[in-house]
Amino acid sequence: MKAWDWGGFFDYLVNPYLLQGAVVTLGLTVAAIAGGLVVGCLLSLLRLSNYKWLVLLAKGYIWIFRGTPLLVQLIIIYTGLPQLGIKFTVMESALLGLVLNEAAYLAEIIRGGILGVSPGQSSAARALGLNSLQTMLYVVLPQAIRIIIPALGNSVNGLLKTTSVTSVISMEELLRKTQILIQEKFLVLELFVVAAIYYLLLTSLWDVIQRRIEARYGRAYKSISISEGH
Amino acid sequence: MKKSLVNLNLRTCLTLLGALSLAAAATAQTCTPKVAASELVKPGTLVMSTNPTLPPMQFVDSSGALKGMRITLGDEIAKRLCLKPEYIKIEFSAMVPGLQAGRWDIINTGIFWTEERAKLMQMIQYEAQAVSISVAKGNPLKISKPEDLAGRTVGVELGGFEERMLKQLDQAMTAKGLKPINVRTFDNFATAYQALRAGQTEASVTIDSTGAEYAKRGEFDRAISGLFPTPVALALKNPTLANAVVGVFNDMQKDGSYAKLMAEYGLLANKDPIKINGPTK
Repeated sequence: MKAWDWGGFFDYLVNPYLLQGAVVTLGLTVAAIAGGLVVGCLLSLLRLSNYKWLVLLAKGYIWIFRGTPLLVQLIIIYTGLPQLGIKFTVMESALLGLVLNEAAYLAEIIRGGILGVSPGQSSAARALGLNSLQTMLYVVLPQAIRIIIPALGNSVNGLLKTTSVTSVISMEELLRKTQILIQEKFLVLELFVVAAIYYLLLTSLWDVIQRRIEARYGRAYKSISISEGH
Repeated sequence: MKKSLVNLNLRTCLTLLGALSLAAAATAQTCTPKVAASELVKPGTLVMSTNPTLPPMQFVDSSGALKGMRITLGDEIAKRLCLKPEYIKIEFSAMVPGLQAGRWDIINTGIFWTEERAKLMQMIQYEAQAVSISVAKGNPLKISKPEDLAGRTVGVELGGFEERMLKQLDQAMTAKGLKPINVRTFDNFATAYQALRAGQTEASVTIDSTGAEYAKRGEFDRAISGLFPTPVALALKNPTLANAVVGVFNDMQKDGSYAKLMAEYGLLANKDPIKINGPTK
């Protein structure tokens, strides 16, 4: 066996089957983050509410989904729920598992962001006559997003790679497709390096997006520093 | 003159000492390894990889101990080579790369013999296996021939011979103008069967003896068996070690223990002497 097969490496680098896997990985990540943000936002609001039962509910959810491995959650969703008559397809099970799991982590990130906004901001908003929903939507959340973005960036980056766990329920994403192709010619290193390059491209893509978002939500602070300079 | 006499005496002493220590080692070990340490991944040990998700061939019992025909066989080979058997439990997909990388001496997981694999490794055929199709109890989909799998969702372990056979079946279906098989690959057979149990897949592909074992346990029916009969092998990297293992097999054929082991698991025993089965040129 050759130590490194350049021909094989370049062939796999543009292999449509692997590219398809990269698209699946990207799709799973985007959908899981979008779903996770919605559920996570709700959870963090429950967690910060004044109703004891809602707080307990959110705490219980976060406790369970952060406290158990995603792999176990996926197996339960995919092969346990059907025994109770609830049957999801592979794609649905994978998405559901990722969203439920991600939501638990994002809920805590969002809660941290909200708590990071000075309480004076909401007092001022209330004094101006905004109700609690308006205060949250127009005053607290826009400021919280700025605090949330760096941690959210970590989450997205991690999630891009975590999606590979869904292969346990036969989801064919980037890493599983890589493993399947390895069986063809046993070019183990070549294929894993190709997969690593794809993952790097995807995480770099997110880096660019994250910088854009940070710039947008940092506008207020940027203009202050400029006016201070004058 | 005197000097050389002293030298001679010293040498005799050393030889004597050496002989004594050797004798002491021999009594402690009761035998000397039949394979040099340089031919092994770990001196004095026969390291084998196995994926224990295939009862009754290889599985883990409730106490965590490895059991099954291939474990009995591996232990016997190690014993006859005067080595300590050691097993690494790992997914099949990691086995060939791991062997190449010198992580273990033998793949002892019931690897099917194929020409491509025999180009990469020293393979010793010792058993024959065919592929079975397991379905839910009662065979609700009335699957009785491979064509019945057209358009069905079928689970299989990733990277094994069974997966290749299933993909071949799928190609045969589409060539005949039938609906393709929806092939789902899992990390191991246990998860593939769990998916069948949950109704996520409609059939599962495995080797005959495992299909029979699951049917015996009463959870699944074996709808089709005896597909693609193929020799099963041990796979090694080191030719010297492979020859030593062939020697053990030949001894086991002579004393009847090989035939007895195969019969115990309902497997066909090789009548011809066992040898290294390289690629046909």
